[in-house]
Amino acid sequence: MKLRVGSPVAGRTATLARVPDPVFARALVGPGLAVWPEDGPADAVAPIDGTVATLHPHAFVVAADDGRAVLVHLGIDTVERHGEGFTSHVVRGESVRAGQPVLGWHPAAVRQAGYSPVVPVIALDATTAALAIPPEGATVGVGQELFVWSPRQA
Amino acid sequence: MADERPRQILAALGGVDNIVDIEGCVTRLRCELRDGSAVDEAALRRTGAHGVVRMGGVVQVIVGPEADTIAGDIQDLL
Repeated sequence: MKLRVGSPVAGRTATLARVPDPVFARALVGPGLAVWPEDGPADAVAPIDGTVATLHPHAFVVAADDGRAVLVHLGIDTVERHGEGFTSHVVRGESVRAGQPVLGWHPAAVRQAGYSPVVPVIALDATTAALAIPPEGATVGVGQELFVWSPRQA
Repeated sequence: MADERPRQILAALGGVDNIVDIEGCVTRLRCELRDGSAVDEAALRRTGAHGVVRMGGVVQVIVGPEADTIAGDIQDLL
């Protein structure tokens, strides 16, 4: 089944190559697309239906029933904020629907603290060929489709 | 079967005595080391790490979304 991955935040899309972090820019954990968020404050929402497999103050992973998992990382090196300015609306292991608020944050405050607020949305362990990614520079609303993930090839 | 990766990663980072601090993030282990040159990158890759990124005095080992669990297991070995 094709998995429609929604944008966790409202903003403007950019290729991962533009993300100022080598792990995301080189797609070391998987391909995907990044979103430069609007200033906020805002809630980042689940990109797909599934289970919250990993939850940090600044990042989370939602895993679909078939095992495909999407990572949402709110800003770069924001682990160093130790949760300051981030609010969790769910717990690890909770079932979520696409579009459901997961983490509250404030992109402008992240930027003012000296961090990039860009939001990489990663299809974990996917092949690049499995993703249909539209050109960068598009404006997306929260929950709107970012890219489509085709099923694993047998 | 027990996961051997925490022990293997710890060895590749130069062992217990080389660790100042190790922290798991969503995709990576952030390792503050006494001697960064003691890191065996080839051995880290053999444990399945996607990559090794050096940023200043910190060595980041990209292990994927299980980073938290692995970091916790390494902490238990220290």
